[in-house]
Amino acid sequence: MNLLLALSVAVLFGAGTFLMLKHDLIRMAVGVLMISNAVTLFIMSVGLSRGQAPIYPLAEGRPISDPVVQSLTLTAIVISFGLTALLLTIIYRVYTLYGTLRGPDDATQDDHAETAGELLAQRPRNEPPRERSRA
Amino acid sequence: MLLLPLLIAWTMAVILALLDGRRRWVGGLAIGAMTVVFIATFRLLLDVLQHGSREIVAGGWPPGLGITLRADELGIVFALVSNGVLLIALIYEVLEGVHERAMPALVLFLSTGLTGLFLTGDAFNFYVFFEISMTTSFVLATYGQRQREIRAALIFTVVNLLGSVFFLSAIASLYHLTGTLDMRALTAAAGTLEQNSITLTADFIFVAFGVKLGLFPFHFWLPPVYRDTWPAVAAILSGAVANIGSYGLLRFGAEILSRELRLSAGVLVVLGAISILYGALQAISVRTANEALAYSAIGQAGYILVALGIGGPVGIGAAILYALINPLNKTLLFLATGLRGWLVGAAFAIGAFSVAGIPPSLGFFGKVALFQVGIADNSVALVILLFIGGALSLIYMFQIYQRVHWTTEKTEQPSSVQSRVLVMGVAVLILALGLWPEPLLLASQRATDMLIGGR
Repeated sequence: MNLLLALSVAVLFGAGTFLMLKHDLIRMAVGVLMISNAVTLFIMSVGLSRGQAPIYPLAEGRPISDPVVQSLTLTAIVISFGLTALLLTIIYRVYTLYGTLRGPDDATQDDHAETAGELLAQRPRNEPPRERSRA
Repeated sequence: MLLLPLLIAWTMAVILALLDGRRRWVGGLAIGAMTVVFIATFRLLLDVLQHGSREIVAGGWPPGLGITLRADELGIVFALVSNGVLLIALIYEVLEGVHERAMPALVLFLSTGLTGLFLTGDAFNFYVFFEISMTTSFVLATYGQRQREIRAALIFTVVNLLGSVFFLSAIASLYHLTGTLDMRALTAAAGTLEQNSITLTADFIFVAFGVKLGLFPFHFWLPPVYRDTWPAVAAILSGAVANIGSYGLLRFGAEILSRELRLSAGVLVVLGAISILYGALQAISVRTANEALAYSAIGQAGYILVALGIGGPVGIGAAILYALINPLNKTLLFLATGLRGWLVGAAFAIGAFSVAGIPPSLGFFGKVALFQVGIADNSVALVILLFIGGALSLIYMFQIYQRVHWTTEKTEQPSSVQSRVLVMGVAVLILALGLWPEPLLLASQRATDMLIGGR
């Protein structure tokens, strides 16, 4: 059982890392999700104990499985759910702004500004930024 | 008392989330709320300094079962500095004009996350607050919503999600090894564990906080993010969110895993030294002010790591003091790069002197503490390194100053008077704290005593 869990965690983590290194942003998001699922599984496996469910009333004399790990896993699942939603939203914004899911190319835009003054000149403060980006 | 800053920040964040933050009065409300949070944190600090650490077990559970909230000397000073930075950045952005409705609410949510993280006594609860702060800062990084901010936010999110994953695995293995999540019980248990089992866990924790702080091998995400985000957001990220990294290294490294910290001293000093030199040299070589400041942040994180690696009361004291001074410098510099006009140049120069460690600025005391570490360790190499680091920081700071403030481009409109006065106010605060450093020195001394005594 331990070996099986360790293998699953390793495969999930490895596959996730492989996907994360892809240029395609959706694959990258899937990779992040797989890695966070690998960790969820890892949390489960650190407290793996046989026993009755930790719900009152408890039967006397029988071991109880560790409830802390289960609550930690639940919390971790909820957090990774929220973060995945946020990550997908950001990727969607990238898609609407760049028109591609190949990942933002680092050299496309204002890296060539020579001085901080030029950089600042490109971002006038009082204009609503959203219109600017679509212009 | 202990819950007050947390509750105010969270309640006000929820209320502000329903309002349109672009309106002036909502911005004013957010500033008011943030001020109250800051004052509540300050009162809690006074309380902790006078009466020792405060503790509440959530839900009325017996200690050991429930989640503990604990305000001790180390956590509360970090909470105060972070809330102060958030307050300054929020005032700055409201004066400059908020662009997005969620921005003030996000700052308050970030304050909730950070205050909770610094005031928790439970490792998993630390992770939860950590994620609250990180999620909020991911959203804050998109602030502005143009191509560059979105790109920065994507890099920031993906890299820091990986960092969080490492931290979560480390917490899970700590629980596996010790059977507890309470930090005090962890401290007691971690010292008795077999060495092999806990080394990997300690590595994971180091990687997680190294990513957060932007130390040398984990720094690659930091320059594009600090360069491309809005000035106020860059100030928040470098002045408040990066504190998670230094606090985490102190809490988990110097307190819970102090034996592993001593074992890895050599590695930490070497990585810190590389960070200092790499950050400073890169800062000299890049052209834009924000990017130079981002590399400077990598270098400054290196000082904390070197002091932590040398350890002992002097080393840890210097690490704490430097970790408290550095956010103020960074906030001032990032805010000043977003502005134009007179006063701004003077404020930037004061920040630059503070980073280089020239009296009477506050940074002088950080540098003095670091030199004391070098002398206490009898290490000539370290003293030379600190001297070179300081000299290089003077060079890159005044390179920026020369490029930004000595050019007289007629096209540039000076920024609004209020925000210039605000930035000058932060500069005056740094000078004032440099002239009267006793409160800060006392607080960091007490935090050091607490950490050393906790062993």
